Amino acid sequence: MNVLRLLQEVDRRVLYVFLLLAVTLPFFVKFRVPVAISPPTKALYDAIEELPENSFVLFGPDYSAGTRGENGAQTEVLLRHLMLMWHKKKIRFGILAFDPQGKTLAQNISLRLQEEYNKQGYGIKEGVSWVNFGYRVDQQNFVRALVKDVPNTLAKDIHDQPVGALEVMKGIHSAKDVAMILNVNPTNSYTIYIQFMQGPYKIPMGLAPTAVMAPEAFNYLDSGQIVGMLQGLQGAVEYEQMLDTFGRATRASNSLSVAHLLLIGFIILGNIAMVLERSKQRKAGGAA
Amino acid sequence: MPVKAPVGPNIGMILLFAVASVVVLGLLMLVPLRFRRPIIRAITFLGGLYATVEFFFPTHPMPTADDPKAVGNFLTFTVQPFGNFTNAILGWTVGLGVINLCQVHGKRLMKGGAGSFNSLAFFLSLVIMTCIGILQKAHPNAINKNLYEILFIGGLSNLDATMFSIVAFYIVSAAYRAFRIRSVEATLLLTTAIIVMLGQIAFGQMLTSWIPKESFFHFLHIDLIRSWILTIPNAAATRAIAFGLGIGGLAVALRIWLGLERGSYFDS
Repeated sequence: MNVLRLLQEVDRRVLYVFLLLAVTLPFFVKFRVPVAISPPTKALYDAIEELPENSFVLFGPDYSAGTRGENGAQTEVLLRHLMLMWHKKKIRFGILAFDPQGKTLAQNISLRLQEEYNKQGYGIKEGVSWVNFGYRVDQQNFVRALVKDVPNTLAKDIHDQPVGALEVMKGIHSAKDVAMILNVNPTNSYTIYIQFMQGPYKIPMGLAPTAVMAPEAFNYLDSGQIVGMLQGLQGAVEYEQMLDTFGRATRASNSLSVAHLLLIGFIILGNIAMVLERSKQRKAGGAA
Repeated sequence: MPVKAPVGPNIGMILLFAVASVVVLGLLMLVPLRFRRPIIRAITFLGGLYATVEFFFPTHPMPTADDPKAVGNFLTFTVQPFGNFTNAILGWTVGLGVINLCQVHGKRLMKGGAGSFNSLAFFLSLVIMTCIGILQKAHPNAINKNLYEILFIGGLSNLDATMFSIVAFYIVSAAYRAFRIRSVEATLLLTTAIIVMLGQIAFGQMLTSWIPKESFFHFLHIDLIRSWILTIPNAAATRAIAFGLGIGGLAVALRIWLGLERGSYFDS
């Protein structure tokens, strides 16, 4: 087999080995490449910064471990910002998941960040600064009931504590008392929040979709139904840069960058080989 | 609005409703086929009518002690019970799914041969996860909670992540073979894909970061080109698709609501 043909038909197992190395090796090197902050990321950051004091944010981690690579990093940066905002403006948040894994994944991140920030004296406390309502089914009907009566619809948090009795829920009765919705979502079920909560009650909403779902969400961004958006892992990297932290998003993005470069490299190599082979064949045909 | 103290599960009521549901289902099964269809259509129509009227009917002030600005209509008070009702229906559908899976895997296990090991794994996973799940809820001690964590986070979550991660390998292999400049359209697609991919990553952005911001050629920054592709041509195309999907969805919903839909689920 000649070299040009070989470059067009690289064995898939060779590609797999290269990809494995491209994804794993950057995890062992700690470095940050500055990125440009995209307007949707900046808009989301500004919207959270501008929240009035003592506001309540409804945080929806509607993802499972399958998309943890992107959505986990997005959850971490958003919760990090909300905890910083607790220190600055006493902003509270409540976690409500429509995916059974989402509530646990977000809970673990929240507890880890709480511990990290409390070492710096932030005084963040579950039940006072934030609460996890857990997992609920039937998002559409649940949200329709939630907007009218928050504490009675939610009833209990993940520790079986009555939601209405928690300090974090002070003054939160209906959707009108919610200052912002933040949804981390690898599907398009965020549109249920837009239809039944954001739209009727004019609540600002921020979205963190996976990169593959982001193109669909630009329509809602254009229309103002979404105030800002983190586009996949890259959005989380931009956000980490704005928060001036080096977290899992930046670490993971280095792997992603190398994997993208590898893919682009192979595609270009395959195409160059194809063009060269064709021109060689054409010449050979002409000579004959 | 006053907050009602959450009540624990009432075992008696749960049993009563479970028996009542089984009786209703049994009665429905006894109904001749030609009468079953109108009953299903009537229930579908009433469900759709309720949701439509509740959502579109004009609202008026309905102040309460805690929320003086509350608004609603004559159906507002039913929204929460209706939500609980649909939750119960969803619970039944999960049960039906489990029965179906048990039937399929049970047959395969009895037959033996290739694939029977997977069916055995299914039954073991189902029984262990169900038992530990109920145990950690009923007796939330450290052992039960840790067992649940091991199964849910250590097992299920990681298996889920692994399944999804494997897709990356197929994507690389498929993209390498499919992205070839065989026609004008393919070249256009390839160029766009490369720009979006490069604009998405830090290393890609470094390629054009040397162009000064004040320069006339600032628009050649790869992240700006990527942003333009996503917000202008891409948004226009996805908006058109969304309109089409919306109108199509509305037509299908109307057909189902009014009992006009035809197909294996509706005619058999």
